[in-house]
Amino acid sequence: MSDFENDLPDPRQSKFGASKDSKPLAEEQIFLDYFDGNSAIPRRVELRIEGAFLSLTPAEGPQVRWHLADLRRVPDQAGGKDASDIVLALTDGSAQRLYIPADHENLANALSMKTPVQSAQPTVPGIRYKLLGLSTAAIASVAFILFVLVPVLADQLAEFLPAEGEQALGDVTFEQIRTALNQDAGGSVQICERAAGQAALENMTARLSKHASFPFPLKVHVLQHEMINAFALPGGHIILFEGLIKSADTAEEVAAVLAHEMGHVASRDATRGALRSAGLIGVLGLVFGDFAGGTLALFLANQLIEAQYSQSVEVKADNYAARLLADAGLPPEALGVFFRRLRDEFGDEEGLVAHFSSHPALRDRMQAAAEAGRRNENNPTSSVLTVAEWADLRRICG
Amino acid sequence: MARPLRTEFVGDRAGLFRFGMKLSALTVLTLGLYRFWMKTRLRRWYWSAIRPGGHPMEYVGDPLEKLLGFLIAVVFLAFYIGIFNLILMFLSFSFWEGNFVGYAASFIVIIPVLFFAKYRARRYLLARTRWRGIRFGLEPAAWRYSMVAMVLWAITLLSAGALWPLMTFHLEKFRTNRTWFGSAKLSQGGRWYKLIVPATPALMSLWISLGLVAGFGATEDPAFIGGLFLSLPALGVFWVYYRVAAFRYLQSNKMIGDDVAMTATPRFWRIFGIYVWGNVAVGFILGIVASVVFFVLVVILLILGFSEDLSDAPVYLAFPLGLLGYFAVFVFWDILTQVFVRMPLLAHYAESIGITDPMALSALSQRDRDAFLDAGGFAEALDVGAAI
Repeated sequence: MSDFENDLPDPRQSKFGASKDSKPLAEEQIFLDYFDGNSAIPRRVELRIEGAFLSLTPAEGPQVRWHLADLRRVPDQAGGKDASDIVLALTDGSAQRLYIPADHENLANALSMKTPVQSAQPTVPGIRYKLLGLSTAAIASVAFILFVLVPVLADQLAEFLPAEGEQALGDVTFEQIRTALNQDAGGSVQICERAAGQAALENMTARLSKHASFPFPLKVHVLQHEMINAFALPGGHIILFEGLIKSADTAEEVAAVLAHEMGHVASRDATRGALRSAGLIGVLGLVFGDFAGGTLALFLANQLIEAQYSQSVEVKADNYAARLLADAGLPPEALGVFFRRLRDEFGDEEGLVAHFSSHPALRDRMQAAAEAGRRNENNPTSSVLTVAEWADLRRICG
Repeated sequence: MARPLRTEFVGDRAGLFRFGMKLSALTVLTLGLYRFWMKTRLRRWYWSAIRPGGHPMEYVGDPLEKLLGFLIAVVFLAFYIGIFNLILMFLSFSFWEGNFVGYAASFIVIIPVLFFAKYRARRYLLARTRWRGIRFGLEPAAWRYSMVAMVLWAITLLSAGALWPLMTFHLEKFRTNRTWFGSAKLSQGGRWYKLIVPATPALMSLWISLGLVAGFGATEDPAFIGGLFLSLPALGVFWVYYRVAAFRYLQSNKMIGDDVAMTATPRFWRIFGIYVWGNVAVGFILGIVASVVFFVLVVILLILGFSEDLSDAPVYLAFPLGLLGYFAVFVFWDILTQVFVRMPLLAHYAESIGITDPMALSALSQRDRDAFLDAGGFAEALDVGAAI
């Protein structure tokens, strides 16, 4: 013991009293199970406090001495609040262990107060730097895959998708949307096809598509749903909701929306989108994992990324619509008029909501439409539908 | 010869519940980042509750190392999954004009990675498990395991399930014969065909169920569906019976080194009871908690002056409250399942395990630490890790 004497800290700081003399902790002798980290056989050792050291003396063999400052309790042990056994380890990460059952109450209490809980163990050397480097690499590579590789690949592959394949993709998506929008389980949203309204819709479509060429024959459907929206699917499907037709004041406003969606069909935006999301969803699923709410985070992240892609796509479709409307002798500003009414009724999307929305702010689009109208001032325009046809279209769902 | 050594389990439900609530709250608040700490700390807790011969097991995994492994896996898998899925969908629509082939193919290409991930995760788990200060270990063989597993699965499917026992036995043997405790190698004894008898009731129920489905497909007679109401629950019960019997047989035929044999005596009715009553308890408590949470939310909205059907509640109120309710239900469900199903199951299995002649363990010594890069990260990313 004299070998250690010079290393001893100030006795006043010693954790188990000031005495440097070897003495048992309590009145009775304490014997505990000790494992030396090399053998699976427990050794009964007698525990003593010697100054700032814990000495473990087996019946035979060498004594083990641990400095109190090197002791750590192994954390998160089961066994209940009032009966927690203590497992003592050393800070150097060695496999030696000393088990102190909770029935040695005084010792257990003293040690749990004096011994810090083991924090991070020195597992991988320099783990913090590795972690920093790898986090950066992981974020960069996932971002690269999400924002560059997947979109570029989707755009390239969309060019090569055969027309039959694209139509099949459109048919699948169309059915999925009809099912998803339905409020009642198991059914799907009705397609509106009253003959008179259908005829009016076909006239409107024909007037516009005369001046355009599409990779597929157009299939324009009206769905019985109150949402004020319209979209294009792969393979030439265009969907208008009843809510949109009902909220339009003139047939020209509907024609303007239709022309916008034709812009999406012409540039096959929906096909790129469908291919993109096939890659995106898998990657996002990996990152968020299965913790509670993972699905929700997945959905929001997908919305956010999709919105980033589609902002520029929407502007292009607006420009396409303005040209197409002018060519067909229809007023290009009708899109702006329709948007103005939407804004007056529902307000512009700003801030956080705008990030989750795939369309650029309405104000910008209204300005662009008004601009297109001014450029077209000298061209004569005529009604797209007769008064009777417009009334029929508004009643297409009955 | 010394007394055989038995295993105690000292975990308590209240302690696990409190601990789980705390960890789950942290996980939700950190948007899932804390899950690596949560998993590590839960493992520490569970391991420390299992005490063969009175000495607790110890889990020495490090959450940081786990996060690191996850990031490594994400870098690899993001590329694999993102690009592969995209190309598969393209091919599927180009040549088959539908997405079914694409989904099927995207599932099939991920299967070898799933087995790989499971083996890697097990290797990490064993490398970070100690008992009496001695490390466990599993030899590196993840790709071989993946190949063997796929061959055995193919054989099982081709035999319409009849050779399931062959797969159970050989997969366990593959893992066991590469497992070490210190310097002692474990080995799986026994014969695969001993599992045929315990598997027979489950396989019978499986075939009857398949026959009923086929019968309904051919005739559309609803009587076949009625039959499924009997055959499917039977399949569930007999499946549990097979799992328990297989565990008992496989564990009882393991050796640690040359001299130490293992014993296992889990009881089917006890396990079955835990599944049934544990899940009933979870459903019951969850129902009460969900009703209370819903009631409180509605009362709050009503006090704030919204109409009864809440249709005029603004988004900024309804959304966070809805989110809160959603998290509350998920977190509660997970913790209650731990407390009423997983912990009692683990406790019963653990307590049923013993080893003969523990003094023979004196012959073995410590093994080297298995440094590990991905720390179960592939299993984490692909959600194939066990629940704890």
